[in-house]
Amino acid sequence: MVRLSDLHPEEAAGMLAAAPRFGDIDHEATPWIDPPPLAESTICLVTSAALHRRDDVPFRFGDSGYRLIPDDINPDDLVQSQVSVNFDRTHYQRDMNVVLPIDRLHELHEAGEIGGVSAMHFSVQGASPNAKTFEASAADMANRMRELGVDAAMLAPV
Amino acid sequence: MCTAAVGVLSHFLQRHGIATTSISLIREQSEAVHPPRALWVPFPLGRPLGVADNPEFQTDVLRSALGLLESATKPTIVDYTREAPDGGGDGLWACAIELPTPEVSELEASLRAEIDLLMPRYLEARRRRGRSTFGMSGAKLEQIDQLVSYAVAVAEGGGFDQIPASATGRDWTHPTPMLIRFVVEDLRAFYQESVTSDADAGPPSQHDMHAWIFRETALGRLIMQIAQLITDDDDPRLLFIRGLLIPEGFWEGGPTFGGPPPGEDPREFLIRSRRYLQGQEA
Repeated sequence: MVRLSDLHPEEAAGMLAAAPRFGDIDHEATPWIDPPPLAESTICLVTSAALHRRDDVPFRFGDSGYRLIPDDINPDDLVQSQVSVNFDRTHYQRDMNVVLPIDRLHELHEAGEIGGVSAMHFSVQGASPNAKTFEASAADMANRMRELGVDAAMLAPV
Repeated sequence: MCTAAVGVLSHFLQRHGIATTSISLIREQSEAVHPPRALWVPFPLGRPLGVADNPEFQTDVLRSALGLLESATKPTIVDYTREAPDGGGDGLWACAIELPTPEVSELEASLRAEIDLLMPRYLEARRRRGRSTFGMSGAKLEQIDQLVSYAVAVAEGGGFDQIPASATGRDWTHPTPMLIRFVVEDLRAFYQESVTSDADAGPPSQHDMHAWIFRETALGRLIMQIAQLITDDDDPRLLFIRGLLIPEGFWEGGPTFGGPPPGEDPREFLIRSRRYLQGQEA
């Protein structure tokens, strides 16, 4: 259960205030893309949880860059430099898959439901005051995804 | 802002040729951004796949989001109708560990006593899970005493620059004053992972966890003491740190984030504050 009405009023107000700021993107300029059938598609994950490897440079506040997370990462090598304190960390501390479902993706692959799992996944700092700053990073991420043979990206916020 | 950021990023990735699907945690943000494909889920922030340690449930959410890659023919927001199996979890958890009675004048000693008591449970949990989220500040576990010394020094008015030596042989991974946010987050992760070490009990909700930390632990007193110092300081840029230390609803003085001084543009104030917190501006 979390709907805006379930959040603290200050937090809900912040979420609503943010919507128009992000909403002025020209969404009609985005082309529609149909990937191959799922059973033939290689999928990568993109998290906004600011996860990265312990020896990576952490995300700065307002960072518009990205970090690569190897598909075979040792979960103990993952840390988080998300600046926001207003989201649940207890489940993530218990189970990486509640934020970054690498194990679930592999199970779907083994079951033949998806064609493959990317050798790398992607992470960004989602607590961004202006997501348009992601544009340059997104172009580079898309190039990396193509190099990795990715057909579609599955994005998840926190 | 994560849901909005994910929506915007979806647009940019598709403009560069990559098909996207996504999860939405705040429907209103997705409605504003119109991502190509989004599955809105009714779960607490921070839990896009719903619940820990439940592969069946997580798979169902993931399958639903991926399914939009085949079923959607135009920009689409679909509602996922199953609630998280723990219902969000508020009010279901109580800490099973009795901590030493805090001595109001002995913040540092109280903190160290709590950490000593929690350490066996933390180590047990880390061994069983094979992972820990401790280390966001760049510290190793054996440096936890240094984290305590630094945080207490800040809380007692020593300023943000008395940083301990780093065990990693390089600078701390965050500049001051932002470093205090991740030092506190490491201490909080240590506490949280310790008291949720029981493999049979589900994790508590974040609200219950915050309530326990702020009402019953020396760590909570430490955070509040830092927040009070920030509040009493003349520099409004520091109020951002307060908002990054204390979740909304736990600061009795009102909203945890401050606002710009009268007459200053909020966007300009945000940029100025961010540069200061990242150590890029005095």
